[in-house]
Amino acid sequence: MLLILLFALTIKFMGQAKLPYIRRVPALDAIEDAVGRSTEMGKPVVCSFGIGGFDYWTVAGLSILGYVAKICAETDTRLIVPTGGGSETYITREAAVDLVRNAYTAAGRPEAFNEEDMPFLSGEQYAYTPGYVGILVRERPGATVMTGSHYSEAMNIAEMANGVDSITITAGCYTSNMAALACASDYIMLGEEQPAAGAYLSREPAQMASIRVQDIYKFIAIGTILVGIVLVNVGSDIINRLLAT
Amino acid sequence: MTVLVVSFLLVFVPYFIPWGPLDWLSGKLMTIAAVTNAFTIVIAVYSQFRRSGRFIREKRKGWVYHIYLLVLLAIMTLSGFILGQHAGAYEWLLLAVVTPLSSVIYGILAFYMASAGARAFRARSPQAALLLVAGFIVLLYQAPLTGAFFPGIEGAATYITNTFGMSVSRMFSISVSIGAIVLGVRMLTGREVAFLGFTEGEE
Repeated sequence: MLLILLFALTIKFMGQAKLPYIRRVPALDAIEDAVGRSTEMGKPVVCSFGIGGFDYWTVAGLSILGYVAKICAETDTRLIVPTGGGSETYITREAAVDLVRNAYTAAGRPEAFNEEDMPFLSGEQYAYTPGYVGILVRERPGATVMTGSHYSEAMNIAEMANGVDSITITAGCYTSNMAALACASDYIMLGEEQPAAGAYLSREPAQMASIRVQDIYKFIAIGTILVGIVLVNVGSDIINRLLAT
Repeated sequence: MTVLVVSFLLVFVPYFIPWGPLDWLSGKLMTIAAVTNAFTIVIAVYSQFRRSGRFIREKRKGWVYHIYLLVLLAIMTLSGFILGQHAGAYEWLLLAVVTPLSSVIYGILAFYMASAGARAFRARSPQAALLLVAGFIVLLYQAPLTGAFFPGIEGAATYITNTFGMSVSRMFSISVSIGAIVLGVRMLTGREVAFLGFTEGEE
């Protein structure tokens, strides 16, 4: 029933003409400033979208990658997108290449797109990591934007990006590495700030409606937890039995 | 989009309605997906050869390492195809070369975390000080030796991890799960096209 309600709410909000309000994530301003800094210094921008398949985080990372590609195309800044890191990235890479190519074409600069600046490093996480770090050390970018689903390699990359004096903007999707990324990055998008940022940038009604539906469900979950706490303390386990089915 | 919806239904429906022909069709679809995924590896390898080939031809900075990369790529690929994945030589390459190298990269994390922590852990405010103390307690508990010197630390660390840490982690998991379902709804209704490589306004 909750699943059906989720479907219905999502479709309802997607069909509404008025876009739901989403606050601007502070890291987004930092992306624009960071790309501007890179342009002034004549340095490239490195942006990655994660090592996962087409999951929740990778889609958000691709939205942010599209935004960064658009800004880089407009400001004539070289964009490097290291790809790979997982077995599913063979497929997501192709989508990312098309996305960046389309972003350059939409900005009126199709000739500036260089597929060799989107190297496939490896399908293995710990072979991808030194490849990424090598790109950072050789190219010394002015900005490093690391979004999507990054796991333990995120710390390596963020710390090395810091080491080459690059503005580091990351997004934590993994509870275990969020604290470490918060230490190593200049700006961080915690948890759902990343898909919210993707929705904010794209201004697509579907993405913004998704964020709204998730917020509604979070309130439902919080209410259920509170009701469950009260009921358990008065000796009723109806919520436990309901959620256990 | 039609292909996407049909594929989804072929995998989703048999989970709730077990029926022989549908299960067979669903299994075939999963096999096709696995084979297609395997072929994308070929594209990735071709891409790497092309890129490295250009680096070597133009003698760009670090071109020698690209020769090294291509040689290793060829050795692993050919040994796997010719000798088989269970052959002694191939397994030796995996266990004696690939696995230790992966472990090294993973192990380096400790030093990166230490340097990031030394740079970031400053008690500039009461909240930061509280965070620092809680983090210190949990970190000390992770080392088995500290239990001998600080007997009470287990209770404090376990309380912090099982109340505050677990509650945030579970809420995070709930949010991600809902987000994944909503993403699926977006994809099935054709409102999400990023995975097809299109940007806004394109179809």
